[in-house]
Amino acid sequence: MKQAIYGLVLYVFLMLPPVASLAESIMTVHMHMQMPLFVIAGMLMAPYLKQRFPGFFSKWNHNGVPGILLFFIIMVYWMLPRAMDEALAYQSVEIFKFISLPFLAGVPLRDSWNKLGSIGQNVILVSFSIISGLMAWLYIFSPTQLCNNYLKVEQITLGWAFLFLGLSIIIYFVQQFFVDQSQYE
Amino acid sequence: MALALKETFSEKTNKALGVNSEDAKLTLTYLSLAFIILFLGGTLGLLQGLNRAGLLELPSWLNYYQVLTAHGILLVVVFTTLFMVGYFYSGVSHTLGGLLPKVRKIAWTALGSMLFGVALVAATVFMGEASVMYTFYPPMQASPWFYIGLVFVVLGVWLAAFGVFISAANWKKRNRGQHLPMFSFFAVGGFLLLFLGSLGVTAEVLMLIPWAFGWTETVNVMLSRTLFWAFGHTAVNVWYLVAVSAWYVAVPKIIGGRTFSDTLARVVVILSVILNVPGGFHHQIIDPAIGEGIKFMHVFMSLSISLPSLLTAFAMFAIFERAGRKKGAKGLLGWIKKLPWGDVRFLAPMIAMITFIPAGAGGIAQTNNQLNQVVHNSLWIVGHFHLTVGVTVALTFFGITYWLIPYLSKRELTPKLNKLGVIQTLMWTVGMYLMAGAMHWVGLLGSPRRTSFSTYGDHATALGWSPYLFSLAIGGTLLFLAVVLMVYIAFHLMFKAPKGNTEFPIAEPEDDAAPTPQWTERWGLWIVIAFAIISMGYVIPVVDMIVNAPPGSPPFRTW
Ligand code: HEM
Ligand SMILES: [Cu+2]
Repeated sequence: MKQAIYGLVLYVFLMLPPVASLAESIMTVHMHMQMPLFVIAGMLMAPYLKQRFPGFFSKWNHNGVPGILLFFIIMVYWMLPRAMDEALAYQSVEIFKFISLPFLAGVPLRDSWNKLGSIGQNVILVSFSIISGLMAWLYIFSPTQLCNNYLKVEQITLGWAFLFLGLSIIIYFVQQFFVDQSQYE
Repeated sequence: MALALKETFSEKTNKALGVNSEDAKLTLTYLSLAFIILFLGGTLGLLQGLNRAGLLELPSWLNYYQVLTAHGILLVVVFTTLFMVGYFYSGVSHTLGGLLPKVRKIAWTALGSMLFGVALVAATVFMGEASVMYTFYPPMQASPWFYIGLVFVVLGVWLAAFGVFISAANWKKRNRGQHLPMFSFFAVGGFLLLFLGSLGVTAEVLMLIPWAFGWTETVNVMLSRTLFWAFGHTAVNVWYLVAVSAWYVAVPKIIGGRTFSDTLARVVVILSVILNVPGGFHHQIIDPAIGEGIKFMHVFMSLSISLPSLLTAFAMFAIFERAGRKKGAKGLLGWIKKLPWGDVRFLAPMIAMITFIPAGAGGIAQTNNQLNQVVHNSLWIVGHFHLTVGVTVALTFFGITYWLIPYLSKRELTPKLNKLGVIQTLMWTVGMYLMAGAMHWVGLLGSPRRTSFSTYGDHATALGWSPYLFSLAIGGTLLFLAVVLMVYIAFHLMFKAPKGNTEFPIAEPEDDAAPTPQWTERWGLWIVIAFAIISMGYVIPVVDMIVNAPPGSPPFRTW
């Protein structure tokens, strides 16, 4: 319950117009800070929603696969340059962003993660590191400006941010094999 | 199995017989060198203090800026690193049951690398080839051998760090399901932070070397400064973390108390590792070429670092109050009287902690853009870090020395030596407060840092600084005497004090303490989060500095 309140506070805070416009004024912050924070807000609210609607989650997401697929689709959608542009241009798309990231990505992620088991988790980690690598390549080397709203230098910056994100995921993924927690615990 | 048995056996003998003599040889070597460096650095400090007051003119073959460069590097990099390695390795040896032979070898190699590096650095500075201060900002250019020396110092630090990681991993394998002892947890955290912090400066130095040899013509000044401060800032926070480890682990035992909360201490270590590196930007608040938005964001990154310090302050006062009440203290503040003020092993770190209150407050003030404009590059800054590093860190190190060296040399701290220690502590405190107080004040009046004595053609403003600079010199003189006394005490404890058995003070948890949660041990996760936060702090400005870079600067020699 406490978590859900933190999540709600974070959610409302992120939607405050000055906060949202500050975050959206820098491309990297838009994609790598605002969007993940929305997902985290959703993750914080997930246990409460599961408690309220237990039947819904067990019926639709009993093995975690539908949930993680939904998460995947939403995340990939928001990585498209065009989606970011539209969020800035159309109020309706902005609202869709505010709803989809916490409730269609954050909540299902938290519900699915432990249901997936280690193989499923590893598949997700590897896919996201590969996607990050591709996005890094796209944004760093694209010869043209991809977003109407962001300059090319911001685009390159975002590319590097993707590279570091991908590296972080890879480090995490690889250390699991070297540092077997069960061996230490 | 046989190996495991043997190792637990050696752990037991270690507890019963005290330190393994080969480990002691290693750590005592590090500590002796630390105190020799303290003596050299302190002597140079005295020369600077006297010069700034107009009492001493330095000869042309050893001018103010050579002295200042050497003072800065020797004290804030070399003394601290040597002490850290000596202290952490002693504690790792003590809490994990002796160093592995492999780790001991690594630590000796690390020492060799560091000493070789420092010799190169010192030689170039004293030859007048590297008066670039400890920050070595380009476009000022030193001899390439200065930078090569730095590479060897960093290499030594990495070796020492990996020695600790290997020890910890090995212990965890032998003790499944157990938490790393708190002391070693601090050691792992400290070395991990130092390692993360040194990545940036390594990249910088590798850019500067070809430039110093003349193979590349220009250098990206903003990028270099940014990479430097990722290290410079992190390093002082590592020294602070080393001091904090003694407050959590040793001080409660010395005052007859218990640790406050094992979990809290570990959270402080984890937060320090995760949050620290991007703080480097608060040293660049006046730098051009960093956007206002980024600077604004970094105010928060910088302030977030004070969170673990505030947790520590809370825990320390709780420990003191509980210990005092156990001894029968009454009333709101009665416990203060029950603390062992006459015991230098408590007095020195206690003054160190108290000093961090004004020192930390000054730091929080400086990190704000508008206030920073007032004090930037003035002597205020020098006053600030002589409180933080010069008192909080250095005095805690001295406090550690009174039990660590006798523990290693199998001797005892006599009451007479304790008294001498109390005198040393008070001299150091009074000296630093005189000097740093004067620096703070005269900084507000506009006196610049890193500037040898000048009256600026007898300008009235500059003449108005004289009384403060004079008090700076008095404080500096007192400090020099305190340095001499400290070095005497350290070597006395090593070679002359009566034989005996000194324990390595490790505080125990309260009897009803809650168990420490397992997640504190997830180092893989902490490294990844630290990495992500470092990227959050650096990717935007660094890409901007590279993509939108000006042509770069050719070298300058300002001396
Ligand atoms: C005998 C004790 C000491 C004295 C008398 C002393 C005095 C001074 C003075 C006068 C300055 C130069 C101010 C300027 O022109 O900018 C200075 C700078 C400095 N001191 Fe000390 N100090 C002492 C101990 C320490 C200790 C223990 C540390 C750190 C562990 C330290 C670290 C530094 C650093 C990093 C600088 C800055 C160098 C630079 O700006 O490049 N000092 N000190
Ligand atoms: Cu700093």
